[in-house]
Amino acid sequence: MAMDAGPLLAIENLRTYFYSRAKRAFIRSVDGVSLGVARGETLGIVGESGSGKSVTALSAAGLVTAGPGVISGRIDLHSNGTRRNLLEGLENYARFTEQDGRVMAVEKDERGWRKHSDTLMAGVRGKEIAMIFQNPRSALNPYSTIGKQLVETIRLHTNFKRESEAKERAIHWLERVRIDSPGLRFDNFPFGLSGGMCQRAMIAMALSAEPSLLIADEPTTGLDATIQSRIVDLLAQLKTETGITTLLISHDISVIQRLSDRIAVMYGGTVVETGRAAEVLAPQATARHPYTAALLASIPSAETIRRKSYLQAIEGEVLDTIEVPRGCRFYGRCNRVTDAIRENCAGIEPPLAEIAPGHKVRCWLYPAAEKA
Amino acid sequence: MRRYVQTPGPIGEFSELSLAQRAGPLDLLYTGYGLLVVVVVVASYVLGAFGWLSHDPQAINVGLINAPPFTSGHLLGTDFLGRDLQARLILGIQAYFLPGLLAITISVAGGSILGVLAGYKGGWFDTIITYFDNLLDSFPRLVLILLVIAAFKPDIYYVMVVVGITGMPVIANLIAGKIAFLRQKSFIEAAHALGLPAHTVVLKHILWLNCRALLVIQATLGMAEAILVETSLSYLGFGVQEPTPSWGNMVQAGANYFLQGNFWPSTAPALAILATILGLQLLGDGLNNLLEGKRRK
Repeated sequence: MAMDAGPLLAIENLRTYFYSRAKRAFIRSVDGVSLGVARGETLGIVGESGSGKSVTALSAAGLVTAGPGVISGRIDLHSNGTRRNLLEGLENYARFTEQDGRVMAVEKDERGWRKHSDTLMAGVRGKEIAMIFQNPRSALNPYSTIGKQLVETIRLHTNFKRESEAKERAIHWLERVRIDSPGLRFDNFPFGLSGGMCQRAMIAMALSAEPSLLIADEPTTGLDATIQSRIVDLLAQLKTETGITTLLISHDISVIQRLSDRIAVMYGGTVVETGRAAEVLAPQATARHPYTAALLASIPSAETIRRKSYLQAIEGEVLDTIEVPRGCRFYGRCNRVTDAIRENCAGIEPPLAEIAPGHKVRCWLYPAAEKA
Repeated sequence: MRRYVQTPGPIGEFSELSLAQRAGPLDLLYTGYGLLVVVVVVASYVLGAFGWLSHDPQAINVGLINAPPFTSGHLLGTDFLGRDLQARLILGIQAYFLPGLLAITISVAGGSILGVLAGYKGGWFDTIITYFDNLLDSFPRLVLILLVIAAFKPDIYYVMVVVGITGMPVIANLIAGKIAFLRQKSFIEAAHALGLPAHTVVLKHILWLNCRALLVIQATLGMAEAILVETSLSYLGFGVQEPTPSWGNMVQAGANYFLQGNFWPSTAPALAILATILGLQLLGDGLNNLLEGKRRK
């Protein structure tokens, strides 16, 4: 395969809003996210529930179609030597009314939107971008055997069109995800398998189409702790074997730490910090976003256990993305605001500024923010 | 208003027990009896269709009018024209079998299509189906059938078309409710994420794999419904017309002699109706418990 220049997936200024009928307001789930996933790397997105990490992934897979959701920005997928914007032309189906940078009203042709989105996604969803979900047991059709479901995707997406070929391929994939006696498991229904095995089958289904990007949305949530670590091992092994590009989403920092090359920390619908995993999560690192620091302080590490120190919960509530504050989104919960920067923090949203090569932080603490 | 009837299906409550292990004794009894009725009905249909009957069901014998059961040669006796009741009972199933299947086909096929459109497309399909449902609910079905008969002719197939159409909203509602319920399930989202085309998801993963049990159950109940409607119509004199026998017109013809003490010409078909409808209803009930995994409290 010819190596294309640039990242495999480039998300630029992605905004995904939902309309809350109850509150008559837009929920700004994803609000100006820019991310790049380079070929062969694993990008981990970490953040609390409601920080917009899953919605970012769903937007990339074209799965946000529900109701008056609105997506804008660019999502470029470079694969097979071509570049396509997965949101190309969708802006024709929705009209925004903006008022000082905030979307106030949206008129949307939902049918046209959905139809156009489906044409954009044809040949991409499942084929180029595959997804695995949390709660694998419920992600498989309970009325069909895993073998049949696997054969279905293989015949749909690959050149193994004949039933017998596809079955052979399916068993090959069950073997690759290390399901024991795959020939027998082929005929099992999802309820006959453990959660871990269901997730393995799900991973087999996602990978069997040989996608260029795998989106793993909380792949270990809803599994037992021991199974979680096995699934993480499996994902790590598959990564070295196939070199697949992965967008990994998790609120579990230990999972992110083990699998990711780079990390993006999300808060309140934006990326607050991004950089190489080793740098962002290094225990000694001091230059980091206060939110990342708070997240790390809230999970047990060898260090905290040795020092017998208490874990620190992050004060306050997760940002309500309906009323986004004018300044820094984390201002209300931040414990590192100094008098020197308080005015900035409260009034102006900091830019994502590079504090070290490849390491960007959205915080006024760092002088780079002033220059950017 | 639209009713979303959510069948608490077996999703998430699967067990590895086999069908027989999951079943309660009553479910097996019901299903067994229902299947027996189906076998008898199909056998009678075949016998009648090929004319393999002990007597000519139309042969009039004025010497042996209203003969009681166990008269020699006539196991169930004869009717007011001396025709053999047993042969007429067996032939009577002809009036229900194909017309009933027609009604079921119309209601299941039409109901599934409407249900899928309402559940999956939503929007104005949903509105149309709700209004269609309300319209049919607010109009007595028997009157509608009588109107059709008056406009065309008292043909059982016309009646069954109406029965089929009026049965559609019930199934449409069930399917739409089930789809609304299933769409929140992650395996449907996962199927979309795996790039399966929408029609595969709807037809295969939703309708075929998840609604087939529901449709079988509705079909059994639909057959029972068809028989009941024909019976009511025959009793009014608008059903299958003499001399073609149907259980309904046999009851009606026999009823004239009931008070003279000749109870059998109307009781035999009435019992046949009772046993068959009971069987079909219990079959539906039993299948519901077995296939949809509902447990009796």
